Amino acid sequence: MKKVLSIVALIAMIALPVFAEGSTESKSSAGFVPTKDVEWTCTSKPGGGSDIFTQQIKDAMKVNGISDANVVVSYVTDGGGEVGRLQVAMTPKAKADHTILTFNSGDLMPMCANTDNRVENFTPLAIMAVDKQLLFIGEHSKYASWQEILDALKAGQKIVIAGSKGDDIETYNALIKELGVTEAQLAFITNDATSGAITSLLGGHVDLCMSKPAAASQYVEAGKMTAVLALSTSRFTADKLKDAPTLSEFGYNNVEVPVWRGVVGPKEMSAEAAAYWVACLEAVSKTAEWNEYITKNGLISDFIGGADAVAYMTQYQKDYLAKIGK
Amino acid sequence: MENLSMLMHGFSVVLTFENVLVCLIGALLGLVVGAMPGIGSLAGVALLLPLTYKFNPTTAIIMLGALYYSNMFGGAFSAILLNIPGDSPAVMTALDGYPMATTRKRPGQALFVSNMSSCIGGIIGMLILTFMGPLLADIGLKFGPAEMTVLLLVAMTSIGWLVGSNPTNGVILTFVGILLASVGMDLQTGSPRYNFGNIYLLGGIKFIPFVIGAVGFAQVMRLMDERNDKTESQITEKLTYKNSLPTKHDFKRLLFPALRTGFVGTFVGVLPGAGATTASFLGYAMQRAFKSEDPLGTGAIEGIAACEAANNAAAAGAFAPLLALGIPGSGTGAVLLGGLMMWGLNPGPLLFTNEPDFAWGLIASLFLANLFALSIALGVIPVLIKILTVPVKIIIPVIISVCLVGSYSDTYSFYGVLIMLIAGVFGYIFEKSGYGTAPMLLSFVLAPLLEDNLRKAFVISGGSVAKVFFNGPISIGLTIAFCAIVSAPIIRLILKKAGLLKPKKAN
Repeated sequence: MKKVLSIVALIAMIALPVFAEGSTESKSSAGFVPTKDVEWTCTSKPGGGSDIFTQQIKDAMKVNGISDANVVVSYVTDGGGEVGRLQVAMTPKAKADHTILTFNSGDLMPMCANTDNRVENFTPLAIMAVDKQLLFIGEHSKYASWQEILDALKAGQKIVIAGSKGDDIETYNALIKELGVTEAQLAFITNDATSGAITSLLGGHVDLCMSKPAAASQYVEAGKMTAVLALSTSRFTADKLKDAPTLSEFGYNNVEVPVWRGVVGPKEMSAEAAAYWVACLEAVSKTAEWNEYITKNGLISDFIGGADAVAYMTQYQKDYLAKIGK
Repeated sequence: MENLSMLMHGFSVVLTFENVLVCLIGALLGLVVGAMPGIGSLAGVALLLPLTYKFNPTTAIIMLGALYYSNMFGGAFSAILLNIPGDSPAVMTALDGYPMATTRKRPGQALFVSNMSSCIGGIIGMLILTFMGPLLADIGLKFGPAEMTVLLLVAMTSIGWLVGSNPTNGVILTFVGILLASVGMDLQTGSPRYNFGNIYLLGGIKFIPFVIGAVGFAQVMRLMDERNDKTESQITEKLTYKNSLPTKHDFKRLLFPALRTGFVGTFVGVLPGAGATTASFLGYAMQRAFKSEDPLGTGAIEGIAACEAANNAAAAGAFAPLLALGIPGSGTGAVLLGGLMMWGLNPGPLLFTNEPDFAWGLIASLFLANLFALSIALGVIPVLIKILTVPVKIIIPVIISVCLVGSYSDTYSFYGVLIMLIAGVFGYIFEKSGYGTAPMLLSFVLAPLLEDNLRKAFVISGGSVAKVFFNGPISIGLTIAFCAIVSAPIIRLILKKAGLLKPKKAN
């Protein structure tokens, strides 16, 4: 008996590291492990914000040994990214477990507005980070504070904001609705990217610029831009941004259109594979590399995974569709 | 003087074995990528960027900067030899480059002129960037939507020079170009336009496949059409290196247009969103105002020199807002900006102060890349010109392959190939019916820029036309220039009719 027990103990000892390894795996995979190359679709060009986000996750997974899968990022930018999103949505079962898409709120809005593709055609895996906007004035601006801008609006003067597409337009719409002003009074010009809006502000062609903290940080530091309003439910905590008041401090309701960055899979992705990827992404959100990325880009790390991500994206879509009357 | 010592410091950063090597590799890759239609600097930099993430930032930017810059040299090769503009600035190069290579049977000289002018334009751009970089960036900022609108209108007038002998046909195709450019998303509201429910058309018609089709593939069809008439190449004489060298007179002809447009190009490169294409259009339009020995469009050295110098100068000028303010002047600039962030640098107004090694190292590397690109380009001319001696029956499948690969690699999908084929068929029909496609290509490039700026300007001015065209000294100056260009032919006609002006031989 002793002999049998000692053999069992020996086997257990040898097997322990194997099972230990397996237990982390099983916790995340529930049986699924990637067996072939994983195609990660990015619907923006290389070097853009979505690409950097994707590459960061890919690197963090590899460096920290979270997943050994060979991830190949493919850029499908046709149709303003809609083709890439549709391709992922329609991925057949055989490939679905090895297909992932970077999906942001800025992607969801044009998708819902211009196509019949919906969040229901995907398997939402995670929201990785959230971003919010601020309004900035330039160094030679006519106005020095948000109060002065409100006074100018009340006096019938025209104010022009420059911003980017997607989320910025939504935030602007929410802002004019809350302030009760018309598009002619508080006008908005759309740029391809925030850098275009910053150019207009620095050149003195517009009164305000809408930007997320990361894109504006260098200009704020150099004293070329100053934040005058936080489009958020609470003030920002960063040193150079904490002086920007929220709308509620002026007697209005706060305007906040959170800009989220997330990851989804195709609708046909199996529950096991979804669980595996959610676990991987959650592990990524806890790595040092990821936190460095979040800090550098002034993002808010806010991991929402699995069923919660499904609920979040679905609700976001519902609200947006109601807003545009679809 | 401080800038000069900083530039010397930049050279001390660049002149290490590793950095010189990556600069050389970048210049070589840039030439290859530029010579391949459809790839272009944007795709070249974007493809190489992930490989440089692990590099030290200075080494990485030296490589990418060299690639971006020397790409402007390469773009002219296919335009001159195959009449396929590799990227948008090369559309203008093809106008004189291809006739000079084929009709005038001087392909070697055409390539020499293009490369020498590129080098001259580039050096002017880099010197201005070195001594006036931040100031230049500030001047660029003065160009808001209103100023850009009027500037683009001036650029649009260059179409007038291209309509040829039949202005009606030219104007019709200009409008076709504008109409095609409006397909896709509305720039200001984000709503779809003319996509007819097609998801691919949501992203608009891509320029590169469009130009490859309308010019390159249309030319294949023309060659096939003429195939029964001639099966040999257009050039039967022996092409040697010696008889490809430009004469002293050729050099004299290219020098002044290159110097002039070098300055203009640098300035246009600094403007937000204008880039090398607008620079090359404006450079060419400007050359019209000066004397050219041969009429422009028939293989004039001055024509090639004007647009090539302008686009290389613009490529150098575009670094001013990128380095001094962190604002990308072009798509490629945006990718480089992404790279800067990936490498852990904070592009913005503090870059010159916080990272002098990086900023000045990059500027110094541009000088080096200019020399590398010129040497390599001049070295490969003897090999390249042999393309023109290839018989038509072989060159046809070669051009078709180039068209297919080029249009595919722009979008990484068959959407690009489809655009190329359709544009090719229509391009051929247009050419055959006496409609030159150059005005269409020009309006296709400029119309979206004009629309975007015009609409922004109107939002800012609250719909006031006066506040757009007479917004400030820059707007007023440009409006006067625009009115002068537009009214000059009418006034001349009136004066001629009144007998006050003697009929002048056309340029």
